[in-house]
Amino acid sequence: MIKLSLLLSVPLFFMGCSMIEAVKPWEKETLAIDIMQYEGLHPEVKKFEAHVYFSKEASRGGGGIAGGGCGCN
Amino acid sequence: MQLSKITASCIMASALLQAENYVSVEYLQYDESDSRVSVKAPSISASYDIGTDYTIKADFVHDSVSGATPSYLPDSGSGASSRTNSGDYTHGKQEFDEKRNAYSLLLTTRFENRDELYTGVDYSRESDFDSKTLSLEYMHYTDASHNRSLSLGVAYSYNEILLYDYDTGSGATAKETSQSISVQAGVTQVLNAKSSVKIAGFMASDDGYLTNPHSLIVRDYQTDSRLVNEIRPDTRLGYGLDIKYITMLNDDISYQLGYRFYNDDWDISSHTINNDFYYKLNKKFTFGAGLRYYTQTQADFYNGSKDFFTNEVVASSDERLSDFDAFTYKLSVDFRQNDKISYNLGGQFYTQSTGLDATMLTTGIKYRY
Repeated sequence: MIKLSLLLSVPLFFMGCSMIEAVKPWEKETLAIDIMQYEGLHPEVKKFEAHVYFSKEASRGGGGIAGGGCGCN
Repeated sequence: MQLSKITASCIMASALLQAENYVSVEYLQYDESDSRVSVKAPSISASYDIGTDYTIKADFVHDSVSGATPSYLPDSGSGASSRTNSGDYTHGKQEFDEKRNAYSLLLTTRFENRDELYTGVDYSRESDFDSKTLSLEYMHYTDASHNRSLSLGVAYSYNEILLYDYDTGSGATAKETSQSISVQAGVTQVLNAKSSVKIAGFMASDDGYLTNPHSLIVRDYQTDSRLVNEIRPDTRLGYGLDIKYITMLNDDISYQLGYRFYNDDWDISSHTINNDFYYKLNKKFTFGAGLRYYTQTQADFYNGSKDFFTNEVVASSDERLSDFDAFTYKLSVDFRQNDKISYNLGGQFYTQSTGLDATMLTTGIKYRY
């Protein structure tokens, strides 16, 4: 499964590189709107979700470092 | 004329990108099917800009957890009244009632080139579990247009766990500790004016008491059966990859696709695929919908049967370490009354192939100033 993930990630990475355009600061209005944020409209709700998944599943990590700890067992 | 248009656009984009001061109050309710676990969690968050170079964010959440968690217990129908070999065992519900207070503080510092340093402190306290976390993350822009940034973060957690001795049933308690170091490195790349991607590799190393103090197993079922605490390894090393892609599908709909791969030396491997859509109906209403899929393999020391374990050094029947799939279905609505006040309501349904079903409801109000 690890090999499959790596095999998939390599072409996706190069596909992604070919899609990159130089965007000027004044063209970033769309990227700045609230529904275009990675943490969603409500980071507090995301944190609650992360707490639930941490409590019910055996995986952890990937949600960011700073302020990302749910401090739960 | 062209220059003034560009300047105006820059000011608008920069104002949109700038964080805003707010206070947010949320109420979060989590209920498992079959009256298992119920969580009520009111929370308050506040974010405040100190000039243009600092932002401080504080969070407080109070969890009230009650219900019953699945575990092996003495089977009263078989005459068993203790955890010794006086009867049979059944997979029943172990009742509990727990409260947790969690505090978080995050300081964002912006430098002259607009690189950012995040410094976080987290503290969480339950009657049998204390956790303290310190985190640092640095984000560096690699180009003048801020289209690409690199980030590197590290977090250290120190936990104290209060144990109840199920092995003898004497009621004695003892204190154990564990610590965890997490590292994450990533890149965020603007792909075009309507989409960006974020890729991060992460690892986490734990050592100390990693056993679940509430999870019990049956040993020597066929010969001298007894109910004892599970035992997990005292170290764990995990790593993974997290990829997020976000784009505007048209003027009103955004879509975020996330994929996470995780693997660790307990033999647990998982894949998570997350999809989130937001639809801005107008200036007042925003609707959200999402679907999350999760699958994991079981830990190499897990077995759910009561007649499996004999003298294994590490052993667990905690079904969170088992092989299962899970889906989450998400719906939400946001109502923005004016520039300052908005309300949110959300519902999620979580279902695992282990038989666990749960609902999550969230509602809140946010005041911006």
